[in-house]
Amino acid sequence: MKISSLLDKTAVIMRRDLLTAMRYRTGFLLGGAGAITELAAFYYLSRAVGPGFRPEGIEYFSFLLIGTGFYTFLLMGVHAFLQTVQEAQQTGTLEVLMTTSTSPPVLVFLSTLSAFTANTVTLAFYLIAGLAFGAPMRPNVTSSLAVFGLSVVVAAAIGLLAAALQLAVQKGSAVVWVLGSVWFLTGTLFPVGTLPKPLRHMADLIPITHSLEGMRLALLQEASLAGVGHELLILALFALVLVPCSLLVFSWTLHRARLGGTLSFY
Amino acid sequence: MPAVVLESVSKLFRHRPALFNWFGRERTGETRALHNVSLEVPSGRVLVLLGPNGSGKTTTLKLISTMLLPDFGRIYVQGADTTTNAETVRERVGFAVATERSFFPRLSARENLDFFAALDDIPRKVRADKIDDLLYRTGLHDSADTLVMKFSSGMYQRLGIARALIKKPSVVLLDEPTRSLDPGSAALFWNLVRGLPAEGTTVILATHNFNEAVAVGNQVAILFKGELSAELNLSASLGVDELRSFYFQTTGELEEVEPAMSRGGR
Repeated sequence: MKISSLLDKTAVIMRRDLLTAMRYRTGFLLGGAGAITELAAFYYLSRAVGPGFRPEGIEYFSFLLIGTGFYTFLLMGVHAFLQTVQEAQQTGTLEVLMTTSTSPPVLVFLSTLSAFTANTVTLAFYLIAGLAFGAPMRPNVTSSLAVFGLSVVVAAAIGLLAAALQLAVQKGSAVVWVLGSVWFLTGTLFPVGTLPKPLRHMADLIPITHSLEGMRLALLQEASLAGVGHELLILALFALVLVPCSLLVFSWTLHRARLGGTLSFY
Repeated sequence: MPAVVLESVSKLFRHRPALFNWFGRERTGETRALHNVSLEVPSGRVLVLLGPNGSGKTTTLKLISTMLLPDFGRIYVQGADTTTNAETVRERVGFAVATERSFFPRLSARENLDFFAALDDIPRKVRADKIDDLLYRTGLHDSADTLVMKFSSGMYQRLGIARALIKKPSVVLLDEPTRSLDPGSAALFWNLVRGLPAEGTTVILATHNFNEAVAVGNQVAILFKGELSAELNLSASLGVDELRSFYFQTTGELEEVEPAMSRGGR
C-alpha cells in the first residue's frame, strides 16, 4: 500500500472520530470536567495523607498523577480496539468496511491509531492540569518516549486480542473487565511493594505494572534509558509475545466470522 | 471472461452447539442457505436474483462480496477467487447492502461517502467531484450536508447505492435496492441501473419485485430454498405477468399461496 494512501486513510478516520466526538458535545465537555474533578480529589487526598508519605521516594500527588493518568490511558487504549469493532457491529458498518479495498487489520490499526491519538491528547491535558495543581516533574524525554512507545505497542496487542474476542463471542469486554479489575495490583494508587509476596508475583505478570513503574522513573526521577532498562526489557518481551499472537488470533477469528456469517453479530 | 462465476457453491450456517444451548430454546444444528449453486454472469449484464425470503439471495451477494466465505465450491470475480484473492475481489466489487444501519450516524452524507471512498483508494483530488456527481445521480444533492441520522429509509437506501458506485466497480451488487423507495425514485433508480452496463459494469440485483426485474434485468436466476431453480433470459417482449407465471411455476409457491389468498378474499 502506498504511503500517501495510508496517510489519506488515517486522515479520514481521524476526521470521522473528531467530528463524531465534537457532535457529542456534552460527552466531550463532561470528559474534561471529569478529569479536573478527579485530579482535585487526588490533590486533596495527597494533602490529607500528608507530605510524610512518599511511595518509592516520590511525592504522593505526583505518584497518583502518573499512576492514574497512564493506567487510564493504557486501559482506554485497549478499550479503543474493542470499541472500534463493537461500534462497527452496532452501527452496522463492520460488514461494509470489510468489503472495502482496505484490509481488516489495517482498518482496525488505523481506527485505533486515531483513538490512541485522542487518548494522548486527554493524557497530555491530564498531565498539564496536574502540573497546574503543583505536581513536580523532572522528565527524561528519551526514556519517557521509549517507555510510552513500548507500552502503547503492548496495549495495542492486548486490544487486538479484545477485538478478536469480540468478533468470536461478542464479549471482548471481558479483556477490559479483567484489566480493570486488577488495577490494585498495578501500582496505580499505592506501590506494588506494599502487597503480599504472592500478589507481587501476580503484579509482575501484568504489563501495566511495568509501564507505570517505567513512566514514574522517566517522568518524575529523570531516569536515563539505563535507569528504565529493566522495565523496557520486560515490556519488550511482552510485545514480542503478544504482538504476533494477537495478529494471528485476530486473523483467525475474522476468518471464522466470515465463514460463520457472524461479522455483524453483537 | 464472465464477470462472476459460482461453481457448486454451498453455504451452511451452523447454530450454537447443543452443548452450549443450556436452556434448550435456541435452534441447534445447521441451516442450509445455499446448496450446490452454479451460475455464470457475463460482463456488462444485469442479472436479477429472484426468490422468496430465505431463498439465499442475500447470502449469494454476501459470498460474492467476500463478506462471507463459502463452505463448498468456488466463486470468481473476473477470475479472482473470493476465498484466496479477497483483496482483489474487494477492489472490483461494490455492494449496496439491504440494511439501513451501515453508515456513521453523526456524519453527513458527503462525509460518509468521503470516508468510504478513501478506504476504497479513491484519490483525494477526485473524490469531491465523484461524490457530488453520485449525490446528484441518486437525488441526494439537497441533503448532502445533512447528518445521516436524520435520513429516511429511502434516503439511506439511495446513499447505500451511491457508496456502492463510488469506486466505479466492475461488479455492483444491489440487495433489494428499491425496497424503501417511492415509485418515482424507484423509476429514477432503474434508469441508473440500466445505464451501468454501458459503463462496463455488471450488475447483480436481488429483489422480490417482478416489475423491477423486468425493468432492469437481462437475465433472471430464481433461487428457491437455497437452490438455483431456473435461469431465464429476459427479452424485450417478456412482460411482468409472464415472468410472474414462470416464477410461480418454477418454485411451486403458488400452490402454497393460493389457498391463503382465496381465504383472504372471502
